[in-house]
Amino acid sequence: MSAPVEDRREEWEGPVPVPTGATVPFWAGALEGELRYQECDCGHRQLYPRAVCTACGSEDPPFAASDGVGTIYTYTVCHVPGEPGFGDRTPYVVGAIDLAEGPRLLALIDAEPESLEIGARVAVTFWRVSEAAAIPVFVPE
Amino acid sequence: MAEPILAGVAESDLGETPDRNWLDNAAIATVRALEDAGCSLDDVDGVAVAGGDDYMPALVLSEYLDLDEPSFLEGTEIGGSSFEHFCGHVRSAMARDEADVVVVAYGSTRKTGPTDERSLEETHPIDGFVRPTGLFRPPGAYAMAARRHMHEYGTTEEQLAEIAVATREWAAMNPEAAHREPITVDDVLESRKIAEPFNLLDCCLVSDGGGAVVLVSEEKAAELGVPEIAVAGVASTSTHRQDISEMPDMTTTGAAVTGPKAFEQAGITHDDVDVAEIYDSFTYTALVTLEDLGFCEKGEGGEFVSGGTTAPGGDLPMNTQGGGLSYCHPGHFGVFVLIEAARQLRGDYEGDRQVDDAEVAVAHGTGGLLSSSSTVVLRRES
Ligand SMILES: [Zn+2]
Repeated sequence: MSAPVEDRREEWEGPVPVPTGATVPFWAGALEGELRYQECDCGHRQLYPRAVCTACGSEDPPFAASDGVGTIYTYTVCHVPGEPGFGDRTPYVVGAIDLAEGPRLLALIDAEPESLEIGARVAVTFWRVSEAAAIPVFVPE
Repeated sequence: MAEPILAGVAESDLGETPDRNWLDNAAIATVRALEDAGCSLDDVDGVAVAGGDDYMPALVLSEYLDLDEPSFLEGTEIGGSSFEHFCGHVRSAMARDEADVVVVAYGSTRKTGPTDERSLEETHPIDGFVRPTGLFRPPGAYAMAARRHMHEYGTTEEQLAEIAVATREWAAMNPEAAHREPITVDDVLESRKIAEPFNLLDCCLVSDGGGAVVLVSEEKAAELGVPEIAVAGVASTSTHRQDISEMPDMTTTGAAVTGPKAFEQAGITHDDVDVAEIYDSFTYTALVTLEDLGFCEKGEGGEFVSGGTTAPGGDLPMNTQGGGLSYCHPGHFGVFVLIEAARQLRGDYEGDRQVDDAEVAVAHGTGGLLSSSSTVVLRRES
């Protein structure tokens, strides 16, 4: 998959991810429009990235590319900004997205709240927010 | 097994304490709770403290109180349920004769104190995923869980609001409660939107303050001549920590595990429970916990809490001091559910605020983002 990566560095005032340790390949993938998760040789799939597989204990499980689609497990509409730099964005939607491959990911959903429902299909896009990272943002399919 | 006796309870001053730090509030609550138990700092041989804004809080509080070589030290941090969790550790220590008088303490300046501003370099790797979403935590995280519960079981915002309304009825009788004026379901629904489906009145307040309970051995309790409020059952677990996306099923909490265990240890059934003090950081927290503890079937919490079940005069008096929704909430509310449970079992109150002839109380703590659960069953020995 290759999803759009919009450069939002100029406008972004929110927190910026800092790639470290096991998360480095995830953020590298995001810059290229690829949503990555860890898929261990034992078959277990996981996100957020960790130095060990939580199923078998293997160290540094390899990454695989997600198709970037999933469904909304749940969501909330934030009327109070939870982080600096979000004041002008309210209300905004944060969802827990079940990727088709299995892992669940928390992310912004870029859509009008009224149009959303649990179970709806969404696809990933990326907002580049720093030199080192682009964050996954989901939009209705 | 020998059961620790909850011999003394107290709060520090609540509300705003701009001239105090967390440690002052924890220490004040501790000395007041000791006085309530009829003993003194000299008697203390154990300290359990969580939630302090300090590294090594058990050492910090022990030093501050100038304790003489305490034999029991506990600082496990599992959020708001830490204090219920400590009850189990204290029981084990007392069974081994390692301690006779243990203070379980909490203090904070959540309202007026400094806030924690760390960069993403310094935090857990998942924060790089969560914080750029702008999610307002904890309310937004609990709201997401509540939304999922509404989706799966048809729970409504009105039903969530019923909890806030009933809790406020209790608060109206508590002079220490921050909010005492009556509210209606409509008031809750029309209050300011925070993180949908939560409105302002679905959310706990924020205050400064501290609380403490004194747990003593049966021998010490006999010596002190205090009412015998026994820790008859206790169990803890966790499902996740750093973010709500890691919660396996947002409609079921660890209380589904800890409730049955604690009830079995205590040898009680739900019919035996006279009063429930259930962590209510949000309306949903209390609703899902009632289900998971087994007071109703899974998914029927909304129906269960409707019509004043948990209000004064209802079948299951809950959060009888006004809860985190209306009384106080200095960050970790778990110590306050123990305090109120003990007071109800001792018959400290008069009139409608006292649950008639309360003998068995359930005190339940929740920590993190619905992450940890600890259930304590307290029983008044006749
Ligand atoms: Zn593996």
